[in-house]
Amino acid sequence: MSSLAIVFRKEILEILRDRRTLIAVGLAVLATPTVLFVISQVSTRTATQTYTAGYSGDIPAGLDILFNATGLKLEPVADPPAAAKQRVDIGLVFSPAGIDEYYDPARQSAQIADIRLQTIVGKYDEAKVAATLQQKGIDPSVLNPLPLNVHPLSSPVKAAGNAFLSFFLPYILITMSLTGGLSAALDTSAGERERRTLESLLLTPAPRGQVLIAKILAVSLLSLVAAVAAIGSMLFALSHISFGLSGGQEAHVGLSPLAATVMVWLAILLAGSFSSLTIALGTLARNFRQGQAYATPLYFITIFPASIVLFIPDFNPSVAYYVIPILNAVLVLRDAIVHNSVSWAPLVVTSASLLVTGSLCFYAALRLFTREALLVRS
Amino acid sequence: MTDPAVKVDRLEKTLQTNKVLRGISFEAGAGEIFGLLGPNGAGKTTTLRVICTLLAPDAGSVGVLGYDTRTAPQEVRRRVGVVTAEFGVYPRLTARENIAYFAELSGVTNGQLDRRVDAVMERLDMGSFARQRAESLSSGQKQKVAIARAIVHDPPVLMFDEPTSNLDVLASREIRQFMVESKGRGKCVIFSTHVLHDAERLCDRVTIIHQGRVVASGTTAEVRGGFQDLEDSFLSLVEAAR
Repeated sequence: MSSLAIVFRKEILEILRDRRTLIAVGLAVLATPTVLFVISQVSTRTATQTYTAGYSGDIPAGLDILFNATGLKLEPVADPPAAAKQRVDIGLVFSPAGIDEYYDPARQSAQIADIRLQTIVGKYDEAKVAATLQQKGIDPSVLNPLPLNVHPLSSPVKAAGNAFLSFFLPYILITMSLTGGLSAALDTSAGERERRTLESLLLTPAPRGQVLIAKILAVSLLSLVAAVAAIGSMLFALSHISFGLSGGQEAHVGLSPLAATVMVWLAILLAGSFSSLTIALGTLARNFRQGQAYATPLYFITIFPASIVLFIPDFNPSVAYYVIPILNAVLVLRDAIVHNSVSWAPLVVTSASLLVTGSLCFYAALRLFTREALLVRS
Repeated sequence: MTDPAVKVDRLEKTLQTNKVLRGISFEAGAGEIFGLLGPNGAGKTTTLRVICTLLAPDAGSVGVLGYDTRTAPQEVRRRVGVVTAEFGVYPRLTARENIAYFAELSGVTNGQLDRRVDAVMERLDMGSFARQRAESLSSGQKQKVAIARAIVHDPPVLMFDEPTSNLDVLASREIRQFMVESKGRGKCVIFSTHVLHDAERLCDRVTIIHQGRVVASGTTAEVRGGFQDLEDSFLSLVEAAR
């Protein structure tokens, strides 16, 4: 058996016996479904929940029916502005001149009640104007001289689900590719030095390059498994829970085979790069704790591009942007999820960029792993 | 002495800005225990690290059984076993797995692996904790694992760098017995220590180094000279070298 295979097998055995690593990966796999379940419960409850509008004055005829149909319960109060601060979600004063609304934008329930009120009043106004025009013998369509007929080319519910996946999934892919193998990477580099096993390992005839490659492969495999497991558990959870949308629709979210293939390919590239990088950082460190300190900035460096779709959902850059590692993976994966198609140019540029990044990280790790200072400093 | 197993010739080495070795030369042969003596910081560990190819010499040369450490480092590593005071072991592997791992990396083939590992464990009386994870072993047991992994590929050259400094009296005695036994098997044993009492009892020949230079070399009796013991001789030599 080659040195590479011997070291790889031993690293995997150690990982499988490392409770700390297994617990971290297990928690990551369970965390996403748990968070999604909570989000699902909250969103469904929000969609079906009835909010209270405290009012005074006379309600225009027919408006109360619209209130009940839209999940706004009317409750008479003496002082609507005061009641809107705590007791009810919004306060309304009906008068012949119109409606005065009082609400606290800092309260989420007030915001939702306000949106519902806008919808109700808009529909009421439309109906009232139409009825008045008809009484006067005028066709109500005169108010809408250029009718707009909307024909969605795909299911809006599915689109909402894809939009959700497009910012959530790349984020999980990148964070899990980094953190899934981080503990093992530091253990096999800084930890090996701290335990004083590194010198014995380097005393064997095994070529150092092979030893390093075996370590990187073992950590990459763990990262890959962690990322795929976290995403798999997320998709499993998404297939069993639904999110309440306005209009009583429910969105079930799934991943197309194309997006899944792109995701696995990107996960392999990211896991290889991150493993090389974290092992290089761990090789610089004298012990596990120092390695963690060196690796901490990586969270911030990776989380920003991973979150960009969250902050700029309609970010559609030129192909040149796909040279930037991590950001490119986020964009390619987003495109695959949202459009269910992949353009070759961005995918090729992204793959080349991540391969070059991975190679540079490996070269850095190899240089650090083969220098004399590695042993002298220890 | 016939052809030396280890030949160190005018070895120089600088670590960062500190010139640690300043022209060290000595030879150690098969079937002898060769003592490399000196105070802390004299350059003993650096010398051993150059011999076993962990460090490259800046000047001079080191040959192990005819192989130059610069040009044939892997051949040298196949022929050397090193035991240090830092007996780091993989905590999540069993004692046996630790030894087998190093055996495989040292080129012991699958057909011989079990036999070789069993033999070395029996020789060091490790049967009672063979399948125990290393994290639960005592210091003495870990030191046995460290010795076993250093000798499992049956190297003709064994180097011991302050092997007893972290051990109790009983475990230290076992290490000394092991060195004597290895000498009896025809191994070249290089014993680096600052415990002169041990060196005087065990070594056939010694070299004393101080501040990176050899200050005395010869048989133990020659180096002791007219002094009562090696320690008096050592102190005198070190004092004279200042």
